[in-house]
Amino acid sequence: MLLAVLIANPEGNILVERFNGVPAEERLHWRSFLVKLGADNLKGIKNEELLVACHKSVYIVYTVLGDVSIYLVGKDNYDELALSEAIFVITSALKDVCGKPPTERLFLDKYGKICLCFDEIVWKGLLENTDKDRIKRLIRLKPPTEF
Amino acid sequence: MAQLVKKDDDRDEEAEYSPFVGIEKGAVLQEARVFNDPQLDPRRCSQVITKLLYLLNQGDSFTKFEATDVFFAVTKLFQSKDIGLRRMVYLMIKELSPCADEVIIVTSCLMKDMNSKTDMYRANAIRVLCRIIDGTLLTQIERYLKQAIVDKNPVVASAALVSGIHLLQTNPEIVKRWSNEVQEAVQSRAALVQFHALALLHKIRQNDRLAVSKLVTSLTRGTVRSPLAQCLLIRYTSQVIRESSNSNQTGDRPFYDYLEGCLRHKAEMVIFEAARAITELNGVSSRELTPAITVLQLFLSSSKPVLRFAAVRTLNKVAMTRPLAVTNCNIDMESLIADQNRSIATLAITTLLKTGNESSVDRLMKQITNFMSDIADEFKIVVVEAIRSLCLKFPLKYRSLMNFLSNILREEGGFEYKKAIVDSIVILIRDIPDAKESGLLHLCEFIEDCEFTYLSTQILHFLGNEGPKTSDPSKYIRYIYNRVILENATVRASAVCTLAKFGAMVDSLKPRIFVLLRRCLYDSDDEVRDRATLYLNTLGGDGAVVETDKDVKQFLFGSLDIPLVNLETSLKNYEPSEEPFDINSVPKEVRSQPLAEKKAAGKKPSGLGAPPAAPASTVDTYEKLLSSIPEFSSFGKLFKSSAPVELTEAETEYAVNVVKHIFDGHVVFQYNCTNTIPEQLLEDVSVIVDASEAEEFSEVAVKPLRSLPYDSPGQTFVAFEKPEGVTAVGKFLNVLRFIVKEVDPSSGEAEDGGVEDEYQLEDLEVVAADYILKVGVSNFRNAWESMDPDTERVDEYGLGPRESLAEAVGVVINLLGLQPCEGTEVVPNNARSHTCLLSGVYIGNVKVLVRLSFGIDSRKEVAMKLAVRSDDISVSDAIHEIVASG
Repeated sequence: MLLAVLIANPEGNILVERFNGVPAEERLHWRSFLVKLGADNLKGIKNEELLVACHKSVYIVYTVLGDVSIYLVGKDNYDELALSEAIFVITSALKDVCGKPPTERLFLDKYGKICLCFDEIVWKGLLENTDKDRIKRLIRLKPPTEF
Repeated sequence: MAQLVKKDDDRDEEAEYSPFVGIEKGAVLQEARVFNDPQLDPRRCSQVITKLLYLLNQGDSFTKFEATDVFFAVTKLFQSKDIGLRRMVYLMIKELSPCADEVIIVTSCLMKDMNSKTDMYRANAIRVLCRIIDGTLLTQIERYLKQAIVDKNPVVASAALVSGIHLLQTNPEIVKRWSNEVQEAVQSRAALVQFHALALLHKIRQNDRLAVSKLVTSLTRGTVRSPLAQCLLIRYTSQVIRESSNSNQTGDRPFYDYLEGCLRHKAEMVIFEAARAITELNGVSSRELTPAITVLQLFLSSSKPVLRFAAVRTLNKVAMTRPLAVTNCNIDMESLIADQNRSIATLAITTLLKTGNESSVDRLMKQITNFMSDIADEFKIVVVEAIRSLCLKFPLKYRSLMNFLSNILREEGGFEYKKAIVDSIVILIRDIPDAKESGLLHLCEFIEDCEFTYLSTQILHFLGNEGPKTSDPSKYIRYIYNRVILENATVRASAVCTLAKFGAMVDSLKPRIFVLLRRCLYDSDDEVRDRATLYLNTLGGDGAVVETDKDVKQFLFGSLDIPLVNLETSLKNYEPSEEPFDINSVPKEVRSQPLAEKKAAGKKPSGLGAPPAAPASTVDTYEKLLSSIPEFSSFGKLFKSSAPVELTEAETEYAVNVVKHIFDGHVVFQYNCTNTIPEQLLEDVSVIVDASEAEEFSEVAVKPLRSLPYDSPGQTFVAFEKPEGVTAVGKFLNVLRFIVKEVDPSSGEAEDGGVEDEYQLEDLEVVAADYILKVGVSNFRNAWESMDPDTERVDEYGLGPRESLAEAVGVVINLLGLQPCEGTEVVPNNARSHTCLLSGVYIGNVKVLVRLSFGIDSRKEVAMKLAVRSDDISVSDAIHEIVASG
């Protein structure tokens, strides 16, 4: 299960937050934990360079893209490798929608489309689509090209 | 310069015009009214939906009324033919998750879309419907979903399959009916469809072992297109291997070739998954393990951090049970100590600490020293704990490891980190006698500049117990007295106690300690002054009549043998009067004893937090309790008290457990009884013991319990005589006998008279292990070699077929009741042979060491070689007898 997808700006403010199977009372804890993890480790990291952590049976893969930091939390089948696959899909889709690694402003400008992308990539904790070109078409309700 | 200014301007502008600046829920909900316009503006509507999504993603939530309002408004948007807006509407409905009675509004629109000619409408409508419908509606659309699963369009098929995975949790019966279609989808040419179909099919069949095995057999022979699906298949294969190895003993491992083949797959994800699956196989052989370790070693130098992390994490796990299998990777792991990703570096270090040998310790410590300064506390704690176990493994290396710990103790760090270091030093001082003096000095230096009151007081307490026993106790006094001058009141009070302990133990220091304690009489804090006065008085520093030396030491070092809860209750009940409070009037029975003792037994030994004095104090308590009973006072010194053995099931009317107290020539059973019925009072409670199956024992005394009110535990005792020096064993049948009286619940008063009654208890056994005390040794080899080889007795035993080697080892340890040393009670999963080292003290204070060598063959027959050395050759023989008759 992909437990959480979280995107924050450099100040640690949340831009997108999607939890799956995480009880409401634990979400705040996760949010502050992830943001702190990013503040401690993401400084000076190159775009899309992945950082990994694990706590008991939960894995965390995170990175930066432009002005935003992206965090994925998973368990069971969604271990560090599956999460790195998912985060790769997310970063490619973001670059595709924004045309470049986004500034915070650009990210917010494209907010609607970005939400649609997430909707195509992760659905209630399961990875659904992994190809950025297909995602680009799906958010415009166009069938995939290979079909 | 001008350019720079311009950039700043740009940034200001950006911030100013952020689309969500000053966004406010009420205003957005107002804006949502545009959804009701007869002439819909798709662009504007999309913008409003985006704002609503932004609010929801920020953690804002809508009230029931607001959500319903927005939901109804959104449903109006189905009228628009605008594709972009339709896509947003699908998402918005999912986010709002309307309740069952509202769903009906959109089902017809969605069902229309689900049958639409436009594939993408179909896929999205399926996803939305499956998110919001219940079981009854699901049966109505089941037919369409089954069709969708085998739809030519992969997006439609995936949508139906992923919906199936979610729906399986709420409506398993319905989804299970789709297995034919899902089975077909598993063969799909579209990679993702195959991935989703495989996940769903496995979920549907997960409780049917045979079906999963068939699925795995067919797919491992066929082609799996997506790496993600391949990973799933590897996981399912491992599951099948795990389950089949339990039932199939032929020796050859099914599917290993498949896993090994996956090590050559082109996707790294698949290679890793296969490597991990191999390392986790039950009883994996070195031959099977080698190819997996080789690919993991390659991953260690990958440019991708995730791969490095995954590899080192897996190797770390392997190192726990098979350190030798990982040693080849040591050089690659050493280079990871400098990895920018600290999780990787920490895992590399902790793995190296497990796989390293004695000669590599110094080099490793040098590398770790550089690394420690720039990692977070939580990683540091992991490293400190790994170093602690390394030091216990190689006690001769204590010098460099202790130095490392003291160095990091001086650096910056939070409480948990400092506590982990202090705990480690304390454990090393306890387990490695040579490390004591240097360790204590490190702790002294630490408290000179320690910001944590808790740690200072704990160290002062420890110093008080250990410092006086060192070769030169006077050198610690300066550090302790500095605390009295420089610290807060809590630490000062602690320091006063520690000074007093030095005074009591070291006569030559006494006059100087008096001087220091007298200075404390002018302290600004009550508690510090009180303690100083008390100790001066106790030690005779104020010229008063000195108590005997034994009493003083008992007072300073002994444990309070009264449960604090009882003392608190008694003090609360004490009414100020002429008569002073008498501490002897406080009951010594431990309330709800079984629970407290169970907890204590389960506690992990740690450093300062749980000093090893804890179990000793239980024995102390027992000893005092027994010696206060005249019938037992002539039995001599208590040798051992067992852990409580439950004689009743949980939650019965009367809860009874028993503690076996072993003396040289006697055994006393202490029955701890609790009455759990509020309406009853039990009187004259005793246990009638039938010892006909314990021939060597004869009953000599019974001490009944006068009264046992509701929920107030009490004890009754039965004592037996047995031949001295003989480890008599036997079985005892127990019946609880008492007089029961009804209690009036309103007044709480018991009726007169009462009825005699009995209550059957479980049987109790006295076994050989009851005569053996668990006492560990820090260095088994030294202890073994220092014992006379002539006392050694060696023999071999067949233990018959066993579930596993670990089970056999556990049985023998329990049979002998000795203390496992150096962690040898843990048997690696796959081991075919194992050596277990045990030590203890046999009744009569005879030291015993045991070396057990086990071997297991392919038929699971276990053979054991038992070598015993002891201070008394007859005890070596006795240990063999215990095993032979057990």
